[in-house]
Amino acid sequence: MADWRGALMSAACYQDPKAAIRFLEAAFGFELFMLIEDGEGGLVHSEMRFGDAVVMIGNEWSDDHKSPKSIGGKNTQTVHIQITTDLDAHCERARAAGGEILMEPETQFYGDRTYRCRDPEGHIWTVGQTVAEVSREEAEAATGLKITGWV
Amino acid sequence: MDDRGRLPSIGPLIWYRDPQAAIAWLQAAFGFELRLVVEGDDGGVIHSELTFGDGYIMVVGPPREKAVSPAAWGGRSTQSVHVQLKAGLDEHCERARAAGAHVVREPATQPYGDRVYTCTDLEDHPWSFGQTVKVMSDGEVEQATGHRVTTKETTHG
Repeated sequence: MADWRGALMSAACYQDPKAAIRFLEAAFGFELFMLIEDGEGGLVHSEMRFGDAVVMIGNEWSDDHKSPKSIGGKNTQTVHIQITTDLDAHCERARAAGGEILMEPETQFYGDRTYRCRDPEGHIWTVGQTVAEVSREEAEAATGLKITGWV
Repeated sequence: MDDRGRLPSIGPLIWYRDPQAAIAWLQAAFGFELRLVVEGDDGGVIHSELTFGDGYIMVVGPPREKAVSPAAWGGRSTQSVHVQLKAGLDEHCERARAAGAHVVREPATQPYGDRVYTCTDLEDHPWSFGQTVKVMSDGEVEQATGHRVTTKETTHG
């Protein structure tokens, strides 16, 4: 394993992982840097890079590893992408590539502007950009939530 | 949002029926460290961040809308998390097992030079853990596995 990669990465299951790779390149600007194929050109393993992070795009490699498309659109995990500039433009790029925008860009109480997008096989991606510094006291006052560890 | 800038640009968000139990379990079993919890009135977790090395996950729940825990969905998952360790893979597996993880694949050295184990957690989310024990070239991996390997140099490379 290349040692520049972080300690932790998501692996997402797709019926058609090669189509997913094309979507993720077009929609989010992920960069494919590793592709492992079997003798028939089937995808065995792939890794895409975004900034300092990596996601693995794979197939439905067991009965328990399924695309949302195969199980009624449900998601057991999602991936959050944090960017530093131009969240609204990022959203427009995702929409143009065929992403379904579930929540349009909106500034949240904790100071991040976020949007939520569903990809062609039903995986849900959230994208955020910090646009304001908010203290724990301000966030608690705004929402009534109990927050621990926000220093 | 506080020192958010220190976290990597991508993080997995994982849905649990009982997120508080999951937060405690993930610390005990895998060695995650809790840095932030935002709790709702109903005992649910709206947002949390747990770190491991330079990576992080978010544990939230109970599930709503299109989200579901594998425990409520026949053990099926749409994503998993891979954690790369620098050392101590076998000991990590024993710690996880002792905490109640179901070890699916025991630690074994793979043809690509990583030692790997996989397990499911208290709500059946799948996890894999790896540690590089032999650094191999693409050619060596191709020879060992019979697969075609294409890698692209990156600016980190």
